Amino acid sequence: MSVAAPEARGPSTLAEIGLARVAVVAALVVISVALQSTVLARLTLLGVIPQLGLILIVSLAYTDGPRVGTVTGFFGGLLQDLLLPQSIVGLTALVYTLVGYTVGTFREYSPSQSVWAPVFAVGIASAVAELGYALLAILLGQPWVGLEFTVKVAGFVVLYNVLLTPFVFPVVRKIADRYRPERVYKF
Amino acid sequence: MYRRAGRGRVLLLAFVAISIVVVTLDFRQSSGGPLKRAKDLAVTVVAPVQRGFTSVTRPVGDFFSSVANLANLRGENERLEQALDQAQADADGLPAIEDENEELRAQLDLENSWRTMEAVTATVISSNIANYKWAIVIGKGRSDGIKPDMAAINSDGLVGKVLRSGPHYATVLLLVDPAAAAAAKVDGIGDGGLVEGNGGGEMLSLSFIDTDSSVAVGDEVVTSGLDGGVFPPGVQIGSVAEVGGSDAAGELQVAVESAVDFKALLFVTVLLETGDRLGAEAR
Repeated sequence: MSVAAPEARGPSTLAEIGLARVAVVAALVVISVALQSTVLARLTLLGVIPQLGLILIVSLAYTDGPRVGTVTGFFGGLLQDLLLPQSIVGLTALVYTLVGYTVGTFREYSPSQSVWAPVFAVGIASAVAELGYALLAILLGQPWVGLEFTVKVAGFVVLYNVLLTPFVFPVVRKIADRYRPERVYKF
Repeated sequence: MYRRAGRGRVLLLAFVAISIVVVTLDFRQSSGGPLKRAKDLAVTVVAPVQRGFTSVTRPVGDFFSSVANLANLRGENERLEQALDQAQADADGLPAIEDENEELRAQLDLENSWRTMEAVTATVISSNIANYKWAIVIGKGRSDGIKPDMAAINSDGLVGKVLRSGPHYATVLLLVDPAAAAAAKVDGIGDGGLVEGNGGGEMLSLSFIDTDSSVAVGDEVVTSGLDGGVFPPGVQIGSVAEVGGSDAAGELQVAVESAVDFKALLFVTVLLETGDRLGAEAR
């Protein structure tokens, strides 16, 4: 049966994820980053841009677990790093990798059925990611805006991300379900 | 289940390690190398999608206002035709004045004004991606002569400078970014200093102004051209909004309100003369 076939060849992460899904997730990452920097950058909440890329990563980690969270976190963060001017490449990648893994792990060990769980996850993840990035950037000597500004931005990012999650999460879950390889059970 | 969690941790450690390697790479090489190519590639992949979103969302806004204004269009058209005729008549005399201006400038040995520089205008295809960095991507690049360190302006004044340029796209660092700065002077007084960004929505700050300076609220601030030639002299930056007390170093703390609305940039003009040439002319 198709369920057992890949196991015989030995478990490979790529086979388990599926090439179609890799392509779809890559497209989602590019689209979310592009939306974030165009449409959403003009629809700000008191000047603050929501982090759609992060919502996508948390949503995927939440539906597909820590490994998908880790990989999308890394590449999503790296893409954002590469597009940012004069910032340290790899910082967002590092922060989003940790966030993706943590959200995925929490989901595996505490499978809450509440519809608010992903919204809650995005809220916590946004706060951790924003403040974590700021802290690392300051520690590494980046030119930085004031502390008050940082806290204000983090607060509004959390709020805006949380407001967007009910619209983004169902779409991401639907796409993730649609492109998930058939082999789901693995012991 | 155990193995699954174990593999998740291995994967996590691997990607954390890669992130740290990338951060280290970025620290060790200031410019060029594989990271620069990766940055160019990232812009090349994402920019067409950004351009798509920008061009889809812009006409929607225009569409509704156009329908509402349909009735006024005929009158508007007539008015514009008249205005164009008038402008054409005025423009006929311009070449002679331009020649005269050029000749007089040559006689006086004045440096070339930025107004006469070769320039290209490009559409803004993406604004900020994050909340702590202020930059835009524009739809023209190396193929139109845009190179790093060129000045970007719009009709209101100084926008920023080109940071990177790919074949068809360029990244412009906005003056409001905390990493951006321009040598500036207070117009009329001539006191020179450095204008620095403090983030979007915040005032620019003008530093290195002596406490005995007569700078006052409302004074115009323009580029001085003294920063190794990134920005040509005389480009409008903004006006003094606040003159505070002196700081520990004995300098006035001056806040400058930018002339440019950085949130509503649709087009920018890049001056196609790089630092070296500007510097040579100023000397």
